[in-house]
Amino acid sequence: MSSLILPGRQRGIREKLTRLHLPLLVLLTMIAGAGVITLYSTAEGSWQPWALRHGLRYVAALAILIGMGVVAIRYWMALAYPIYFVALIALIAVPFIGEVNMGARRWIEYGGFQFQPSEAMKIGLVLGLARYYHGLRAEQVSHFLYLIPPALMIGAPVGLVFIQPDLGTALLLAATGVILVFVAGLSWRLGFLGLLGGVAAGYGAYRFEFLKPYQLERILTFLNPDRDPLGQGYHLLQSKIALGSGGLDGKGFMEGTQSQLKFLPEMQTDFIFTIFGEEFGFVGAVGLLALYLSVILTGISIGVASKSHFARLAVIGVVITFSLYVIINTGMVMGLAPVVGVPLPLVSYGGTVMLTIMAGFGIVMSAHIHKDQDVLRSGDFL
Amino acid sequence: MVRVNTHDPERQEVTSRRSFLLGGGVGLMFTVVAGRLYQLQVVDHDKYVDLAQQNQFNRRILTPLRGEIIDRFGNVLATNRNNYRILFVPEQARDVDEALDKISNLVPISDAKRRRITREIRRRGAFTPVEVGANLSWDEFSKLNFELPHLAGVLPDVGETRDYPLGEASAFVIGYVGAVTEEDLARHPDDETRLLLRQPGFKIGRDGLERTYESELRGAAGEMNVKINAHGRVIEEFRDEAIPPVQGKTLTLTIDAELQQKATEILATPGERMPDEPQSAAASVIDLVTGDILVLASTPAFNPNDFNVGINPQLWKELNESPYNPLLNKTLTGAYPPGSTLKMISAIAAQESGFSRHKTTYCPGRMWYGNRYFHCWKRGGHGTVDMKGALKHSCDVYFYEIAKELDIDLLADVARRFGLGQTYEIGVSGQQKGIVPDREWKRSYYAGNPENQTWFQGETLSAIIGQGAVTATPLQLAIMAGRIATGKAVRPRLVRAVGDLILPAPQAADINVNPAHLATVREGMNAVTNEYGTAARSRLEMPEWQLAGKTGTSQVYAITAEDRAKGLTEPEDLPWERRDHALFVCYMPYENPRYACSVLVEHGIGGARAAGPKAREIMRAVAEKDPASLPPIDPRNLAAKSASSERRG
Repeated sequence: MSSLILPGRQRGIREKLTRLHLPLLVLLTMIAGAGVITLYSTAEGSWQPWALRHGLRYVAALAILIGMGVVAIRYWMALAYPIYFVALIALIAVPFIGEVNMGARRWIEYGGFQFQPSEAMKIGLVLGLARYYHGLRAEQVSHFLYLIPPALMIGAPVGLVFIQPDLGTALLLAATGVILVFVAGLSWRLGFLGLLGGVAAGYGAYRFEFLKPYQLERILTFLNPDRDPLGQGYHLLQSKIALGSGGLDGKGFMEGTQSQLKFLPEMQTDFIFTIFGEEFGFVGAVGLLALYLSVILTGISIGVASKSHFARLAVIGVVITFSLYVIINTGMVMGLAPVVGVPLPLVSYGGTVMLTIMAGFGIVMSAHIHKDQDVLRSGDFL
Repeated sequence: MVRVNTHDPERQEVTSRRSFLLGGGVGLMFTVVAGRLYQLQVVDHDKYVDLAQQNQFNRRILTPLRGEIIDRFGNVLATNRNNYRILFVPEQARDVDEALDKISNLVPISDAKRRRITREIRRRGAFTPVEVGANLSWDEFSKLNFELPHLAGVLPDVGETRDYPLGEASAFVIGYVGAVTEEDLARHPDDETRLLLRQPGFKIGRDGLERTYESELRGAAGEMNVKINAHGRVIEEFRDEAIPPVQGKTLTLTIDAELQQKATEILATPGERMPDEPQSAAASVIDLVTGDILVLASTPAFNPNDFNVGINPQLWKELNESPYNPLLNKTLTGAYPPGSTLKMISAIAAQESGFSRHKTTYCPGRMWYGNRYFHCWKRGGHGTVDMKGALKHSCDVYFYEIAKELDIDLLADVARRFGLGQTYEIGVSGQQKGIVPDREWKRSYYAGNPENQTWFQGETLSAIIGQGAVTATPLQLAIMAGRIATGKAVRPRLVRAVGDLILPAPQAADINVNPAHLATVREGMNAVTNEYGTAARSRLEMPEWQLAGKTGTSQVYAITAEDRAKGLTEPEDLPWERRDHALFVCYMPYENPRYACSVLVEHGIGGARAAGPKAREIMRAVAEKDPASLPPIDPRNLAAKSASSERRG
């Protein structure tokens, strides 16, 4: 069957490494570096407990990224559905064997190794959808029958994550999936109808008390932060004070009084952008945003340049997830989005999210290295 | 046949277009985020800098020490001592109930107190420290400190509490302090004062001088800026820039603590004839030259130290229900019929109406007037007596004879001139005016009932011997004795100085009474104690301190014929609350008087047997010390204290 692998030619590892997208790696490393610096400052000038581990994790994740990058894109396509379904089964299993942490059941522990199926699903959903649309002709994309599989593919994990409950991740998955379907070519008309349906569903959820009280509380607080200055809104207010008092050029490295005085909760994870913004000011924060935007645009250019439709959509899917992380997190700490517990990619402390992001960029890297390879429309490409 | 996905330009084009659109959308969102950052960090920067300052810096109130209260010689009557207490910051504890359980394992918290604490937490919010325990022993306090790492939200604290070294003996003069209530806060509209009053464990004067001089005793709050972290924990104090609190002013009283204590003991000691009888009694001693109240004693009394701590309900119930009224200052909140101690007033009124002191009356033991007999206290009668004799033996019939002709309005006027029927500005609230009956009084008393408004001469017969409607407080009677002794309108005072400001002694105007008339009653009073009169037993055997006095026994219940038939003839046979009140008023020395005194023993049966001896013993103590001859403390020499008591929370 090897004659059917078209067109491209097999390359050696060494040659593949020379084709690594270095600017992307540099950008990612700069962002992770910003994370290390901020975590060092958050710990009042100490490598412990966060900065050093963050750096080491990044190095490990970078190795995984490169490792995934040299794997041919067709293998990723072959693994797309299996990865999706393994993640889905794990999500189904969570309520039965998962660990309860802070009122939510999100983790599966296996042999001392913690595994969060909802994180794996972020990759799995992107791969699964890309794989699905890889097999469709343009005119099929907006056909009603062909919309049922992706609706199920998105709906099942979103529902499972929502009941964990993890509203933030559920929304992130839903948004990623829907945007990816749109990028795949959904007609504007259907896109608009979908948007309407989403709004209606949101209203229904609110109306019929579908949300946990704390989830509702967060959303209501977001809509009116002055409602409860010492409860949910307190954190948001403190975050705004820290950012605002940072000013144009910031208070300087390790000089962030608000964050150093522990006015912020979860400083090392969800609110790390606040600390960065307080210490490095508007200039620093916009600089960091520029780095993120560069990563996103680089990702889009890699996606567009890919020859295979699967690679194209997988790359865009990763970019969508990444963008949503950044937009929701930064919006959240500034009061533009509800406080839903979404970390800032590569800067927030936390191994699982770092791994998810870097694995995603591993696929992006694979697409870039193998951008000239096309793969068969159907599954039997080996 | 496997179809090869070589080119599908249409979908590739759509995807690429939409990808660029996505890039544009993301760019737009980033612009919004950056715009928001610009607004926060550049446009509203100043506003957030202010808020950040408020976050970090907190103004702490430094509570002032309450001013001390000292007696005329500088002995401490009210001071402050360390109060080991537990404060609790609800915000720092995960679960308030659980935390309170833990605390109560070390220091018991009653259910009632627990309810009060939870109520306070709800009212004051999670960030204000609440006092959950006070006046801990050193043992309890150190145990608590040892356990501190396991007690989230608990703040051990050394505060100040009021201490009254004389306890019961000074209860009524000093009063006491208590916790600040919502009503107190409502009375203080300015925020600064409220802030001070809201400090945990802050106390406010509740009764007596503590209440009257609250604003002088309270002092001025200081303040200090502190740097705090998000948990409210102080991480830096700016002591150099702090404004220290100023202790309240010292209140210097006219009281002689030693005599006050002695008088209280004398009052509380039962008489020989009824050694088991509780003594519900009052005594006042006044310096007649300065008006200084040296003794203002009342028994039984509460202990004001019990009230600082927050009184326990059982004790409060006992105090309230006791028939001996330990919560009442009988020297001025009790008005009693003065009985025969009013006869000096009656004698002066008689002389002013033209009745000669030398005119005699025959006393057969009773007198018919109107439609009934008016009895003399001595059943057998006194025989022939003149005015001095009538005072010496306290003959009622002699005064009935006068009363037949006497205008009640004149009697009332004389009584008022001698100090009855009015209150005095001495800083202690709850004073009774007493009743000096006259025609006008009866009209207004029966305002709703015109038929009863007419004054009957028979009522004058009761009034002239201090019975019927007439009442007076023991303090008024001491003032009356003092005015008889000096011929001046002696005015009492209790506070000598506020801070270093010495208050001027009240000027005593001439009382405007014919000296000859005064001489008559003075001679009569001298005869009572020194010429084998009714209080011969109360004669003071100190040549330089000749004591002149007058007994009084005011009827509470008239023994009826029915009672007699039951064999109830002696006053001792009556239940306590129906026995007559015993009174005694006196002054000394007889020549050139300096001190006046009154003693009341509630239901003491007889002035001569119950009140007189107590008055004699009190006056003996006064004479032995002669406090007026000793230099009082100069309040300007008091060390200026501005020691600060600082409360964290």
